[in-house]
Amino acid sequence: MIRRLFVPARLDEIPIGTRVIAYGLLGLWTLVVLFPLYWMAITSFKLPIDVSNGPAYVPFIDFKPSLDAWHYIFVDLGPDTFRPYVNSLIIATFSTAAAVFLGSIAAYALARIEYRPPVAAVGLGVLMLAVVVAAVGWGGVDLRIAVAVCGAFFFLLLRPIIRRARRHFANDDILFWIISQRILPPVVTVIPIYLTFKSIGLLDTRSALIITYATANVPIVVWLMFDFFASVPKEIEESAQIDGATRFAILFGIVVPLVAPGIVATGLLVLILSWNEYLFALFLSTANAQTLPLLVAAQNATRGPQWWNMSVLILIMILPVMLLTLTLQRFIVKGILVGAVKG
Amino acid sequence: MNHMERQAPRPSHFASSTVPHSKSVSLRNVSKTFGDTRVLHDLSLDVHAGEFLVLLGESGCGKTTALRIIAGLESASEGSIYVGENDVTQQLPRDRDVAMVFQSYALYPHKTVFENIAYPLIVRKRAKAEIDAAVRDVAASVHLEPQLDRYPRQLSGGQRQRVALARAIVRRPAAFLMDEPLSNLDAKLRGHMRAELKHMQHELGVTTIYVTHDQIEAMTLAHRVALIDKGVLQQLDVPARIYSDPANLFVAGFIGSPPMNFLRGTLANNRFEAEGLTLVADVNHHGEAVLGVRPEDCMLVTAADGEFRGHIYSVELIGDHSLVTLNVGEQQIVVKVSNMFAGEIGMEVGLRANRERVYFFDQRSGLRIRQC
Repeated sequence: MIRRLFVPARLDEIPIGTRVIAYGLLGLWTLVVLFPLYWMAITSFKLPIDVSNGPAYVPFIDFKPSLDAWHYIFVDLGPDTFRPYVNSLIIATFSTAAAVFLGSIAAYALARIEYRPPVAAVGLGVLMLAVVVAAVGWGGVDLRIAVAVCGAFFFLLLRPIIRRARRHFANDDILFWIISQRILPPVVTVIPIYLTFKSIGLLDTRSALIITYATANVPIVVWLMFDFFASVPKEIEESAQIDGATRFAILFGIVVPLVAPGIVATGLLVLILSWNEYLFALFLSTANAQTLPLLVAAQNATRGPQWWNMSVLILIMILPVMLLTLTLQRFIVKGILVGAVKG
Repeated sequence: MNHMERQAPRPSHFASSTVPHSKSVSLRNVSKTFGDTRVLHDLSLDVHAGEFLVLLGESGCGKTTALRIIAGLESASEGSIYVGENDVTQQLPRDRDVAMVFQSYALYPHKTVFENIAYPLIVRKRAKAEIDAAVRDVAASVHLEPQLDRYPRQLSGGQRQRVALARAIVRRPAAFLMDEPLSNLDAKLRGHMRAELKHMQHELGVTTIYVTHDQIEAMTLAHRVALIDKGVLQQLDVPARIYSDPANLFVAGFIGSPPMNFLRGTLANNRFEAEGLTLVADVNHHGEAVLGVRPEDCMLVTAADGEFRGHIYSVELIGDHSLVTLNVGEQQIVVKVSNMFAGEIGMEVGLRANRERVYFFDQRSGLRIRQC
């Protein structure tokens, strides 16, 4: 009996009562998901008085729609809306492209090439790093001198250590290390990142945010793309090798088309993460590099939450992501590998 | 099943795609180790131009590794590989002028059949018209013309197999490498494709190195069979001699179905003695030995007429023949007899063996003890 619940049935085999309940629940959930969007859409056409006298549900009946908020955002605020908009577009696009490119080639390498870094060599690197930190922090040694000395020691000791190495890390360890970069709560890293960009004079620039987002998202891309690359049968690539293709031609002519759904899905995810990012943007930008999430938050400032203005901003903010998702969705197809191997 | 796969022998289509520059392939003292495991040990092989050579052995014996080393997908730990006169040991797979058919076919799933077959020519930047003509020619020869615009996922197993073959043929390589190309097909189709392959190789005259664990495939397809066990070449010979003149116990036991009977005993003074039997043996050897005789080279006679005797342990009717298992002392021996044979379990019978087909092997080394 219980089993029957999990056996997929054809639609016309489901009893009518069950069907009514099922569709009822689905309809209810659709409402739960879509209602906030609807509420935002109508709020953007409300006057402050309609909101405070609230709740008003249906335009033209409960309240008279007005373009006041849209006028405020597009005309009164004008450049102060468009600048963050352009910033967000540029930052999200470039950081996503960089993260997907770097993360994908890293994931491909990890899926296809066996790395065996000796544990001792990695330990030596960490030790030298610690020495640099200690020397600069407590010893007051000049950073450049510390780095030069420790770097020299590192490369001097590297060869004998590698030759005698018994224990090695494997690709899994490297993969875990990359993913572990995301375990640390971002808020912990905000201050060091702020200080770094301050010292190199990149505060309040798009570059700072592009670099930060790309770096933060590379682990996610590696993590997701690793499985996609690993699922491409090795023989396909070997076959292409024998057929005469170069490494480059195999990667871009055979492998990338086969993992395209993964690249698109990962790209969308990373794009959304960058597009909606708030914390780093708050610290690293003031006026010039300000992004949309900051602008939305700013509507909740001195005079209390300006729901109508926020609604307009959020609507125009989700628009490009929605359009992109709808356009790219057709690439996220299942079963692209069917027919490659086995009969 | 598509009717295309079931067609009777047809006129040759290969005339226009015959490869004139088929080359020999040689392995010279090739060894391969993975970490501490040695999978190939000092393997030397000379495959003549135009020859169909089968690498036969159980799974894990190193035969696929040998093929991958020839293809350049693995590097040899020691030794060198030649294609024709060229030492290709250090060359990349694409420079070796060999084509490979994988067990899993390894088709490009996002490309059509046409694009799959054309791929080796496209990456070599051949002219478009030339590619088009070559692909259509090869597709015709493997009967894939109607499927050229399909994708691999829309094809049956046999059709995918033929796409993989066509992709190998289209380049006209110096040699074909095939890694168990038929093992993913169902039994009936496999028999059919075996005949197709043999015909195709004959028509094309391309040097072919074919890896399989199936002795029937090896015996039927090969000009010569190289039998490998634990990374060591056991015997390299024409199929008939692999069957009738095994070099050692492994070869004798591997080839033939049902397998050869082995009886342990001792050789001394031109006699082979085991519990329950004594046989005159025309070999000059003393010590522990194994007598080998195939079920088809034995004959059941009355107890009085036999060279030695045994008791019937079981009788199995196979169809066109029966298999009778006898207890001879502590050991057992299987005899292939007519399907008319009527014997009861427990009955005592005599046994005669075709003396020219009785083999002796050294028990310790497994090597054949030849007649003096």
